[in-house]
Amino acid sequence: MTRDEIRDRVLTIFAEEFEIVGPGLDDDLREAHGFDSIDAIELLREIEDMLGFELSQEQKKRAMDNIRTLNQILDYIAGLAPEPA
Amino acid sequence: MERRVVITAASAISPIGHTRDEILHSLQNGVSGVQPLRDDGLLSDHIHSQVFGTVSADIPFDFERKYRKTMGPVAFYACQVVKEVVEQAGLSPEQLGSGRLGVAFGSTHGSPTVQRGIYETFFSKSGKRFASIGAVDYLKSMVHTTAVNITKMFGITGRVISSSTACTTSSQSIGFGYEMIRYGMQDAMICGGADEYDTTTVAVFDNLLACSTAFNDTPSKTPRPFDADRDGLVVGEGAGAVLLEDYESARHRGADILGEVVGFGCNNNGGDLIFPNVDGITATLKIALADARLDPGDVDFISAHATATKMGDVIESQAIRNVFGETTPMVSGLKSYMGHTMGSCGAIETILSLYMMAEGFVAPTLNLDSIDPRCAMIRHTPGLADYPLKVVGVQNFAFGGVNTCLLIRKM
Repeated sequence: MTRDEIRDRVLTIFAEEFEIVGPGLDDDLREAHGFDSIDAIELLREIEDMLGFELSQEQKKRAMDNIRTLNQILDYIAGLAPEPA
Repeated sequence: MERRVVITAASAISPIGHTRDEILHSLQNGVSGVQPLRDDGLLSDHIHSQVFGTVSADIPFDFERKYRKTMGPVAFYACQVVKEVVEQAGLSPEQLGSGRLGVAFGSTHGSPTVQRGIYETFFSKSGKRFASIGAVDYLKSMVHTTAVNITKMFGITGRVISSSTACTTSSQSIGFGYEMIRYGMQDAMICGGADEYDTTTVAVFDNLLACSTAFNDTPSKTPRPFDADRDGLVVGEGAGAVLLEDYESARHRGADILGEVVGFGCNNNGGDLIFPNVDGITATLKIALADARLDPGDVDFISAHATATKMGDVIESQAIRNVFGETTPMVSGLKSYMGHTMGSCGAIETILSLYMMAEGFVAPTLNLDSIDPRCAMIRHTPGLADYPLKVVGVQNFAFGGVNTCLLIRKM
C-alpha cells in the first residue's frame, strides 16, 4: 500500500469507528479529538485487520508509548507494512 | 448523626412505559408490558417460557461517542434514567463533582449481550480470536458497568456502591444510598438498577422450572401473582433511578420532594440459596419498621415482591400476615404489569409506588382473578381505587437468600 492509500484507510477508520472526521495530520489526537488509550487499542486492532497479521506485544507497546498524531500513525504502519520475516 | 433522607427525582424505563404519564396510564388501565419472547437465534428456541417483560418505548439515546464507547445495552438504560433524574433535579456540575454525591447502581450481571460476544470469540475457529475481543468489552460487560458509566458521564466523584444481588440489586442500591446519607457519609446519592433484554436469564429460571409457560399465547395474562392459576415468573428488562438527598439540603435548595425514605431492612436467610424463607422475610419487614420507628398499622400499602412462583407468593403472604396481623396493608404485586425486571425491579417498583402516592391511587395486582387460598390471609388491593397513601413498603427478595424492605413516607 502507498502512504496515500494507508492514509485514506486510516481516515476511514477514524470516521467510522471513532467519529473523528477530517482530523489534521499533525493534530495531537488526544488533545484535539479526545482520542484516548482505549481508542488506541481499538485502532491497533483495526490496523491488524488492515494488515492481515497480528502485531506483537512489543509492537503495540511501542505504538502506545510514542504515537500522538496521524502522521506518526502512518509512519508506524509504514514501518509494519513489509511482511514480517 | 442521623439525617432525614428524601427522594427528589425519579425516572424509570419499564415494560409499561418510559415517561411518568405512560406508566400511570398503564397502571390505571391495566395495561401489561409482557410480550412474546423475541427470537435471539441461540436460546429462544430451547426455552419453554415464550414471554418477556419487554421495553417497547422508543428511546433516543443521544450520548456522545466518548460515553457510548464503554457502554453495553444495560449502561444505556442506566445512563438514560440517571440523565433524566439529573435534569429533573437540576443538579449542577459542581454538585455532581463535589465528592459529596455518590452513586449506588447495579445490574444482575453487567451486560450479558456483550459477554455473549466475548464467549463467541473463544469458540471461534478464526485465527484472530484473541484480537477480536474488544478493548472495551470488559468495561461494557463488568458487574459495575452501570455505576461507573454513570460517574463518567456526569463527572461524579463521590462513593460508588454497585450491588449485584439479583432481584434485590436496586432495592439495596436505594437502601445503601439512604444509609450513606442518613449517617453523613454523603449528602446525596443517585440510586437504582438496570437490566437489559437477555434470554440467558430466562433460560436460568426456565431450567429451575420457575418461569411461566402456560400463557405463551396470551402474554398479557401472565405473570399472575397470588392467583390460583399462577405458573411462575416472567423475566423482564428495564431501569430505574432515584435521587436521594439529605432533607435539609433538599429543602434549602427548594427541591420537589417525592417522598422520604424512612426505613430500610436488609438481611439474609442464612441457608438455602433459592427457596424463600418465611422467618427471614418476616425479620426483614420487622427490621425496616424498627428502622423507621413505625408501627405495622402505619403502613398503608405494600408493593410485594410477588414474582408469581408457586411458593414465593405463599411465603411472602405468610410473612406479611406475621408482621401486620389480621388487617394487613393493601398489597399489590406490580410485577403483574411488567414481569420481573430483575436488577431494576426494586427501583422501578419504588418509582411506581411514588407515582401512585403522588396521584393518590392504588393499582391492583393484574391477572388476580381467583386468589390462591394460601395467599388469602392478606388484604389484596381490590381494584383500581383512589386511596391516599401515607406510608408504602417496597419488598424484594433475591436468589442467595437476600431480603430487603424499603419504607417510604409521603411528605
